[in-house]
Amino acid sequence: MLAASVSRSLPSSKRFSLSVLVCASIVIMLFALTQGSASLSIREVWLALTGEGTPLATTLVMELRLPRILAAYATGGLLAVAGALMQILLRNPLAEPYVLGISGGASVAALVSILLGISGVLLSGAAFLGAMVSTVLVFGISQAGRTSSSLRLLLTGVVIAAGWGALITLILALAPPHKLPGMLYWLMGDLSYAGSPILPWCMLIAVCVVIVPLGRSLNVLARGALQAASLGVDVKRLERLVFVLASLLTAVAVTTAGSVGFVGLVVPHLLRMVLGNDQRVTLPACALAGGCLLTLADTLARVVIAPEQLPVGVITALLGVPTFLLLLRKGRL
Amino acid sequence: MRTALKTLLLTTLTLCSAKSVMAQQCVVDDRQRTVCMDKPAQRIATLSPGATELAFAAGAGSKVVAVVSYSDYPPQAKQITSVGSHTRIDMERLVSLQPDLVLAWRTGNPPEQIDLLEKMGQTVFIIEPHEFDEIATAVKRIGTLAGTEVVADDVADTFLAGIEQLRERYQNAPKVRTFYQVWDEPLMSMSGKHYISKVVALCGGVNVFADSSRMIPRLNVESVLLQNPEAIIAGGMGEENSSWLQAWRAFPEMRATAQGNLFFVPPSLIQRPTPRVLEGARILCDKLDIARARR
Amino acid sequence: MTQLVLDRMVVDIPQQGAMSPLTMSLSSGQLWGVLGPNGVGKTTLLHTLAGILAPRSGRIELDATPLAKLARPMLAQCIGVMFQDHQDGFPATVYETVLLGRHPHLGVWQKESDQDHAIVLNALKSLDLLALQNRLITELSGGERQRVALAMLKAQQPKVWLVDEPTNHLDLNHQVRAMEILAEQSLQGDCVVASLHDVNLAARWCTHVLLLYPDRPPLWGESASLLTTDHLEPLYRQPLAVTELEGRSVFVPRST
Repeated sequence: MLAASVSRSLPSSKRFSLSVLVCASIVIMLFALTQGSASLSIREVWLALTGEGTPLATTLVMELRLPRILAAYATGGLLAVAGALMQILLRNPLAEPYVLGISGGASVAALVSILLGISGVLLSGAAFLGAMVSTVLVFGISQAGRTSSSLRLLLTGVVIAAGWGALITLILALAPPHKLPGMLYWLMGDLSYAGSPILPWCMLIAVCVVIVPLGRSLNVLARGALQAASLGVDVKRLERLVFVLASLLTAVAVTTAGSVGFVGLVVPHLLRMVLGNDQRVTLPACALAGGCLLTLADTLARVVIAPEQLPVGVITALLGVPTFLLLLRKGRL
Repeated sequence: MRTALKTLLLTTLTLCSAKSVMAQQCVVDDRQRTVCMDKPAQRIATLSPGATELAFAAGAGSKVVAVVSYSDYPPQAKQITSVGSHTRIDMERLVSLQPDLVLAWRTGNPPEQIDLLEKMGQTVFIIEPHEFDEIATAVKRIGTLAGTEVVADDVADTFLAGIEQLRERYQNAPKVRTFYQVWDEPLMSMSGKHYISKVVALCGGVNVFADSSRMIPRLNVESVLLQNPEAIIAGGMGEENSSWLQAWRAFPEMRATAQGNLFFVPPSLIQRPTPRVLEGARILCDKLDIARARR
Repeated sequence: MTQLVLDRMVVDIPQQGAMSPLTMSLSSGQLWGVLGPNGVGKTTLLHTLAGILAPRSGRIELDATPLAKLARPMLAQCIGVMFQDHQDGFPATVYETVLLGRHPHLGVWQKESDQDHAIVLNALKSLDLLALQNRLITELSGGERQRVALAMLKAQQPKVWLVDEPTNHLDLNHQVRAMEILAEQSLQGDCVVASLHDVNLAARWCTHVLLLYPDRPPLWGESASLLTTDHLEPLYRQPLAVTELEGRSVFVPRST
C-alpha cells in the first residue's frame, strides 16, 4: 500500500509544480517590467502600474513595456502548447511549428495578405489557413507511405519549411519598398512590432480550458493511433481537433510576433523531463513555461545591446538549436 | 483618428482667431496628412539618416535629441543619442527622450512602430521626398515646425536655385545614355520615378532603366550590356573610389568601358534625398560632361 | 455471458485476395489460439475483431449488437487489445502506462479514483511489475515492456481479450506466467483470443484454436480435435513429430 501512496502523491507534486510555474510567471513578468533601455527604478515602475507615476514613466510602463511583455508571454505560451500538441499529433518529440514549416506557411499567407492590402482579423485568418495547409502537407506526406518514421516526418517538414522560405524570399523580392519593413519581421520572429496582446491572451486562455478535458485522451493518443482506438478514443476526431487547435495557436502566435522558432521544441521537452508526460499537467505547464521563456528572451532582446534591438527569434534559436541537436543525439529520433 | 480630429480642431481655430494662426504652425507631410505644432518643436527625433540631415539643413540641428544608426552627417549628428536602427526602433529610449516632433521615413520605418508612436500622442511628420521640390519643401516644412523658417527657407531656395542653374546649363546638352548603379550584388538601378534618375536627367543624361516597373529594379549584367550605356555611374559602399566599376572593365565592347566613362560619385551625396544632392548632382553633371568630351 | 459472433466475416487485408469467410462464435470462458504462418493475417484479424479495422464483408456482433454500432468508449470497455508493437516516443513510467488502461471507464471530466489505482496496482502485481512501477518504459527490456502491455490490458478489464503474440520476447518463465494469466481470465468468464506462434503453448493452454491457412479455408474448433499433425503440417508447411508428455501432445519440427 506504500507504493500506492507514492504513486498517488504524484499528481499533487505536479500541482505543486504548476503553482511554482504560476509564481515564476508573475516574478518574470514583474522583472521584465523593470528592465528596459530607459532606466526606471522598481518604485517608479510600481507607481506607474498603480497609476501614480510620472506621465513619462506611465507611458513607458503602460504603453510600451506592459503590452509587449504580455504579447511575449502569450506568444510563448501559444507556441509551447502548439509544439506539445503537434508532438502528440505526430507522435514525435521533434515536431515543432517552426521546424516543420507550419510557421512558414502562416508567414507566407500573411505576407501575401499584406501584399494584397489585407490587415486585421483577415490577416490572422489567412495565417491560420497557411498554418493548416502546411500541417496538412507535412502530416499527409509523412504519413502517406506505410512506414511513417520520424525521419520521413522531419525530412518532409524540412523540405516544406525550405519551400516556404523560398516563397517568402520571392515575395520580399517582389514587394514594393514601402511594404518591406512591415514584412521583414515575419522572417525572424520579433516582438518589436507586436500589436495588442488581447487576441493571443484570449487564445491562450481558451486553449487551456479546452485541453483540460482532452488531457487524458491525449495521453492515450501519444501511445499511437491503434492503442488509442483500442482504449476508446475516437482517433480521427481527436486528431482533427488537435490539428486545428495547433494550427490556430501557431497562426495567432505568428500574427503576433512573426515566426519565432524552437519555443515549441525546448519547452515541452524540458517539462517532460521534469514533469513526465501526463498532458493534463504538461500542457498547462507548457503554456506557463513557454510564456516565461519568451518573456525572458524578449527582455534580453530588448536590453542586451540597446539601443539596437534584437529580434527575439535570434535568442530562441540560440537556445533551441543546441536542444534540438541534443535530442537528436540522445537518439529520440 | 486623433490626428484627424486635431486637424479639424485646428482648422476651426485657425478660422476663428487670427491670433492662434500666429501661435500654431501646420504643414502637410509626405503622407498627405496635416501635422501641427502649437509651438516650435524643441526636441526632435529623426528616424532615418536622411531625416537627420534634413533637420540639420533646416537649421534645427541643435534641437535634434534622437537619431538612428548611421546618422553620420553632419558630423555632430554622431554625438546625438541613437535609438537603434531605423527598422527596429528602441521605443523606450525614444519615448524617454521626450521628443515633441518625430521625423519618420515612410518606406524605411516599420509602420507598426510609427502607428504606436501616434497612438501615444506623438506628433509624427513623415518624409519621403521624390522630387527636388519635395526635398526643398521638406526642409521648409521642417523649418516651419521647428520655428527655423529663416534658415530653412534660405537653404531650400539656394538648393532650388542651384538645381535650376544646372537645369539651364544642361537642358540642351547632348544626351548621354547613363546607367546608375545603386548596388552591385545584387545588381540594382532605379526607375525614372526615383529622384536619382531625375538627377541624371538634370545633367542631360538618360537613365537606361527609366522604364522599369519597379522603383529599384534588380538587374543582371546582360541587361546592362544590352542597353550599352555611354556612361556608368556607381555609388559604392564607402566614400572612396568604387571597386564596383572594376567589374565593368571586363566588357571592353560596351561603350562606357570603351570610352573610359566609368565614374564614381560618393553615394552619401546622392543617395540621401537631402540638399546635399545638389553637390552630388554637380559632380554627376561634370562626369557626364567628361563623357561628352570623349565622343 | 459475452459472445463475439462472426457472420460470414471476411478480414480486409490490403493488397491481398479475399480470405475465406469466418462464421463462428467466440464465447466467455474460452481461450482461443489463433495459429498460422507469418503474414496470414492474424494481427489484422485481431484488429478487425476489436472494431479498429472494418471487415471487408460480413458482420461481427458483440452480444447481438453489431460492432460498428457501438460507441468507441463502450466498445473499449468490453473489448481490449494488446498490440505487438508499442509506440514509446515519449518517456512515461510503467505506472502511468498501466493507468491508461482505465481510460475507457472514465468520463471526460473524471479523474482516476482510488478504485482505479487499486485495479492498476493489482494488475502490476499479477505481472510481477510492482518493483518496476516507477521505471520509464523506454528503459525496459522487451519482455518487461510486454508484461506492461499485458498489465495495461488487465487494468482495462475487458470482457473480450484480444492479444497479439502475448509471449513474444518473454523468457520461459514469463511465457508460462502470461499464458496462465490469460487462462485465469478465461476461467473467470472472459473470452480470450490470442495469436500464437508456439503450437505447444496453444496445445497446453488453449481451449479452442483457429487455424489460418495461407492457401485453403481456415479451420476452427476445440484444440483437442484440431491440434494434430494432419492439420498442423500443412499450416506451417513443415513436417512435425508429435509425442505425449504429461498427458499432452508436444510437437517438434522434423528435419525434411
